Amino acid sequence: MDLTNLLKDLTSVPGVSGLEDKVARVAMDALAPYVDELYKTPMGAVVGTIKGKGPAIVLDAHLDQIGLVVTAYGGNGFLRFDKCGGMDPRILSGMEVTVHGTEDVYGIVSSIPPHLAKKEEEGKAKPFKDLAIDTGLSDEELEKTVKPGDRVSLKAYPAELLNGQVASVAMDDRAGIVALIRAAELLKEADCDRTVHFQFTVREEVGGQAAAATAYNINAHAAIAVDVSFARTPGVDSRDAALIGKGPMIGYAPILDKPLFERMKSIAEENEIPYQIEIMHRGTGTHADELTNSKAGLPVGLISIPLKYMHTTVETVTMEDIENTARLLAATVLAGTTALEGGAV
Amino acid sequence: MTLFEDIRILCELPGVSGREEPVREYIISQLPEGVSCETDALGNLYVEKKGAKRPKNKVVLFAHMDEVGLMITYITDDGYLKFDEIGGIDPAVLIGRTVRLECGLVGVIALKALHLCEGDEDKKIPPIRELCIDIGAKDRAEAEKHVALGSYAVFRSDYVEFGGSRVKMKALDDRFGCALMLDLIRSDLEYDTTFVFTVQEEVGARGAVAGAYTTAPDIAVILETTTAGDICGVEGERRACALGDGPVISYMDRGTVYDHDLYRLAMDTAKENGIPAQTKTLVAGGNDASSIQRTGAGSRVLAISAPTRYLHSPVDVLDKNDVENMQKLLNVLLPKLAQ
Repeated sequence: MDLTNLLKDLTSVPGVSGLEDKVARVAMDALAPYVDELYKTPMGAVVGTIKGKGPAIVLDAHLDQIGLVVTAYGGNGFLRFDKCGGMDPRILSGMEVTVHGTEDVYGIVSSIPPHLAKKEEEGKAKPFKDLAIDTGLSDEELEKTVKPGDRVSLKAYPAELLNGQVASVAMDDRAGIVALIRAAELLKEADCDRTVHFQFTVREEVGGQAAAATAYNINAHAAIAVDVSFARTPGVDSRDAALIGKGPMIGYAPILDKPLFERMKSIAEENEIPYQIEIMHRGTGTHADELTNSKAGLPVGLISIPLKYMHTTVETVTMEDIENTARLLAATVLAGTTALEGGAV
Repeated sequence: MTLFEDIRILCELPGVSGREEPVREYIISQLPEGVSCETDALGNLYVEKKGAKRPKNKVVLFAHMDEVGLMITYITDDGYLKFDEIGGIDPAVLIGRTVRLECGLVGVIALKALHLCEGDEDKKIPPIRELCIDIGAKDRAEAEKHVALGSYAVFRSDYVEFGGSRVKMKALDDRFGCALMLDLIRSDLEYDTTFVFTVQEEVGARGAVAGAYTTAPDIAVILETTTAGDICGVEGERRACALGDGPVISYMDRGTVYDHDLYRLAMDTAKENGIPAQTKTLVAGGNDASSIQRTGAGSRVLAISAPTRYLHSPVDVLDKNDVENMQKLLNVLLPKLAQ
């Protein structure tokens, strides 16, 4: 499997929260060769299963990405909008976008020219309500194609940086999806005889409504959420971030399962997989939080891929970290640990 | 080659102020046979195009080849590139963007993640001095292998036609003017005409000084783009000018008081020929005219511009209908100026 191309394919298909169908199809096609069963849930999540012995484990990554949502017509070919997920308002001035109406419509987020900017507004990011999307269309044409509620995705100019770093939009959490698909391939190669459910969930960026619902019909004994987390960039306290390219971050938090955390650490060491530790003092802000409350409660672990510039059009990861995340996932599943069965190490 | 193919090719070329070679080389490569050109010490390009007749007034057309961009000024211990802007750039249009460096590498510009911001940090656009370019280097030594201080970076932007008649690209300011001049040079002109493709407009209309000195125009016509503020939430005179309402003819801006007779002649000529034209409802902006009007013994100046949204960003936007009307106006106006 060419991970770089898979990541390119997955990040070039838009899937703003609530509109994940297209990217779900790409992800399903990529996962299909490695699983025995594949289906979509009522909310649009994808579940693929390797059938084997129990107890089953759930591996979760989310399909959706942050974006915008059209709220009203602004006149003269402009659209008013609000955020869909935790959009960073500092990147929006002059941003190129695609409005997903009955057809895709190209647009540009308006930016106030300097000679019109008020002195007191200098140095401030414009709030969403002061921005609009310029489609260049007549209002009549625009109203035929685009309606309030339509999602808007941001256009990226993908970049390959030094040291295997790649930047694009929606690496959060397509990088996690790639890691899961690669783990499925590794498990297939290893003739895995344990039951593994790969769930590609939806709507994570708008509240995580789908994670527990997706896992509800699965009779699992443990789950591992795979998401992205902060890699260090200028101005970031080293306490708050890991280093890009130095391996997956194994999460530790009050809500996460401690035996599973310890187990993943020792499995990483046994298999010589580089890893970093991410300490969080309450919830994790990932699907791990919701998965712990699935049914009667699940022991949950968290692995995060280090990512620079989260929630922008230049989210940056390394393929090496994704590969090592997949290796750690596969090794953890194959180890068949007591921790996965809910007991102590 | 259509005008818009030329615009696309010209805009794709990197050519920040002082580093206009790729643009100049392309223009020279496109000159028809028998048309002579010269380059001066600063890099301005002069083209003499013979017409059917000799003019009474020496008419010289000007467009600038340079674009706004970034210049690398420092490399941090961690391998990040600090930069200053070449020409005026709003830092807001740099955040979350990628740029192409002179060495060929691509870099990204972004801030500390939203989630890690404290106080109102997540609502602030820092000044350019606080931004940096990330090329993925491990440290300064690795970055230094690729990037030299003083080297440039330009926006990455795809040429896009959208919304019926709109064009979006970086550097439309003023490769659009260069393309218009190239189109005129390729066509049959009634009178001998001189064309100057200038350098260093964005850093103070500097190339135009030598350009005007060398050509000593009776009448200088500047072909440019000018800021349109006709966007959602901006009303009345603050809109300045509007896309689709025709070429903009200037009476005054922040650098120039234009020749009033020429301003009136251009406006009247548009009206007589049923060509839409407009002027700006604000005294704002500036162009090479500011230098040209005062150079040597002075020249009468006229500026005709395409109204353009989001100038000095990766997403300059103009309207094809305005471009077409600007061509129509020049076709009827240039012979009048020469007589």
